[in-house]
Amino acid sequence: MTEALGFLWPSFLVAVCLVGIHAYFGIQVLARNVIFVDLALAQIAALGATVAFMLGHPAQSLATYGYSLAFTLLAAVLLAFTRAWATRVPQEALIGVIYVVAAAASILLIDRAPQGAEHLKQILTGNILTSGLNEIVVIVPLYLAVALVHFLFRSRLTQSGSLFWEFLFYSTFGLVVTSSVALAGVLLVFSFLIIPAAIGVMFASSLPRQLAIGWIAGTLISAVGLAASFAFDLPTGAAMVCAFGAALALAGLIYPFFRNDRFIALRITVAAARWSVAALIAGSAVQLAVAPRADQPLLDILEYAAPSLRGLYFTRTEAATWQDANEYAERHGLAAEQLIELERRRRTQGEALDDVAVQRISSFLKSYAEMRKGEQFVMGEVRARSRERIRWSMGLGLLAVALLLAPFPWRRLRARLSG
Amino acid sequence: MWLHPLLVALCFASGLALAQSSPARAQDRIHVTTTTTDLRSLAEAVGGDFIDAVSLVPANFDAEEYQPKPQDVMRLRNARLVVRVGLDYDLWFDRLLEASAKRDIKRGGPGYVDASFGIAPLEVRGVTVGPGDGHAHGSGNPHYWLDPKNAEFITANILEGLTRIDPANAGTYETNRKAFLERLVQKLTEWETRLAPLKSMPIIAYHNSWPYFARRFRLDFADFIEIKPGVPPSPSHLAGLIQKMRTRGVRIVVREPHEPERDAAFVAVKAGASVVVLATSVGALPNTDDYLSLFEANVATLIDAVVAR
Repeated sequence: MTEALGFLWPSFLVAVCLVGIHAYFGIQVLARNVIFVDLALAQIAALGATVAFMLGHPAQSLATYGYSLAFTLLAAVLLAFTRAWATRVPQEALIGVIYVVAAAASILLIDRAPQGAEHLKQILTGNILTSGLNEIVVIVPLYLAVALVHFLFRSRLTQSGSLFWEFLFYSTFGLVVTSSVALAGVLLVFSFLIIPAAIGVMFASSLPRQLAIGWIAGTLISAVGLAASFAFDLPTGAAMVCAFGAALALAGLIYPFFRNDRFIALRITVAAARWSVAALIAGSAVQLAVAPRADQPLLDILEYAAPSLRGLYFTRTEAATWQDANEYAERHGLAAEQLIELERRRRTQGEALDDVAVQRISSFLKSYAEMRKGEQFVMGEVRARSRERIRWSMGLGLLAVALLLAPFPWRRLRARLSG
Repeated sequence: MWLHPLLVALCFASGLALAQSSPARAQDRIHVTTTTTDLRSLAEAVGGDFIDAVSLVPANFDAEEYQPKPQDVMRLRNARLVVRVGLDYDLWFDRLLEASAKRDIKRGGPGYVDASFGIAPLEVRGVTVGPGDGHAHGSGNPHYWLDPKNAEFITANILEGLTRIDPANAGTYETNRKAFLERLVQKLTEWETRLAPLKSMPIIAYHNSWPYFARRFRLDFADFIEIKPGVPPSPSHLAGLIQKMRTRGVRIVVREPHEPERDAAFVAVKAGASVVVLATSVGALPNTDDYLSLFEANVATLIDAVVAR
């Protein structure tokens, strides 16, 4: 546990810094209705970096950063104008065009600058896990400076104004996004930007309160996402984005309880939950009856969680065949892994395996793989036949369960029929 | 000006010999298209002056994620022989062959060479999925050209293909291959002795591209930063990796030029190791212009890294 903490806290600090500045910008972005502007700016910055690579500058050099910055400022000018142009075409459409053209242009340029491919991939996924104190000493002064500018001119910058103030808004935002996307990747930065801000806007109406809620929520969610990624052995960025998404869904569920009559909110929530479960079960019932040999996601998940459920519809012979095939498949898999491990060990330990021995191991591995696939085919076939046998009975049964679960207005229906 | 008649005769004779041994005009050469630069280099070693080889994937690119361009279809239109890595490594090539609409170079045609034929693949987990769509390395680890000894099989496959489409020059191709393999064997013993001090010295790599290299030179690639291709490493994996590096005293982290610099540097710094950039393909780094110099450069870089510490 302490090891996990020691490993994760630099990433957590970075996440806190990013939440700090992005929650603020997120509220602004939501108010201006330019949701995808960060993607456009990040892509433009990446285009600038790709141009720098093409001209022969190394990845971490000042020149590369300069190109990124220059491109971002140019994009800020463009974005400042888009509001004026956006009379008939919505501003968001123009932002989308900037994004796709910048992305396509960098793909074209990559042909001339191979390192660009890695860079483009990096800005998409980023890696908050491998960022830490070295990055914090760069971003904290930058974010503080941006925050100071925004605090000093808050009356001008918090609402859309003349071209100059628009430019200042987009260029400071561009500065922030250029640095954060390089650290955390486009997906995570978008979550940092929109989700804490959205939660803040949901539960408060004044800017300071929205900010406070956004900061607290963002920090907590980041901690949960990081912890989950450690505990469940998941890629960090993707785990954090999903944590942010789940948190927004949860906030959406809680929201009605704060606004309307609590009892009504509860009833709507329960009804929605019952409808979704009923729809899921009814869908599975139809799928089973119509195509019993196809994948049955619900049944497969249930059987994966509780294998004994198969006993409900397998005959004794089927169960025995299935069990047998499963054991053989596992045995073949294990044998293959042992052979791979043996070959791996002998690369450095003891006498080296000669080419004939390696050739033999290789053909054994291929045979094991084929045999394993054969056993898996048997397992699938047994299950498919067994499901074919019960398609109507089980399908009807599931449909009945779905009907029972669905919040139909039974009582009203009966009253109308009798009355 | 006076020229010795003997000298003139000599010049004439050598000119004639040259004209005979190599087709004078470029269009007479056999066009060979390979997927990777490594295969191009090996095809050139066998074909010599009789062939004109081009490779599709630029040296610095990840060949597994290559997206073919329209020009690539044109390159296939001219080709009489195609050479691919196989083992699900260059799956995109199947669709390209389909698009080229040339029967001779399609799977099973006389101009089609799968260089992996006869190779003993390592780490086979599962079965190959064949042309079209694919699962990651279902038919074993595909980086087999990084064992110099496997060049025997690769060049044999290329020789067979060239002989099929150009039987008249089969003798020359065989001589070329023999000469190349002689040089390779000589070099191989040299590399083996030079890398001997690195035996069982644990090394971490970014991606599992090195099992064949490791087996030949008896190196210990103990673990990898990215275990599933394309999925960033999880924190628990990185923490375990760094722990392992500390306990086993790993001093070298290997990455390829197209792999993320920061992730490799991160684990290296945490565990007190240094990052070494090795090339898995001809031309990916300076001084790796052909198959032999690829190994020459990698061996030298590895030894320098060990000596420097």
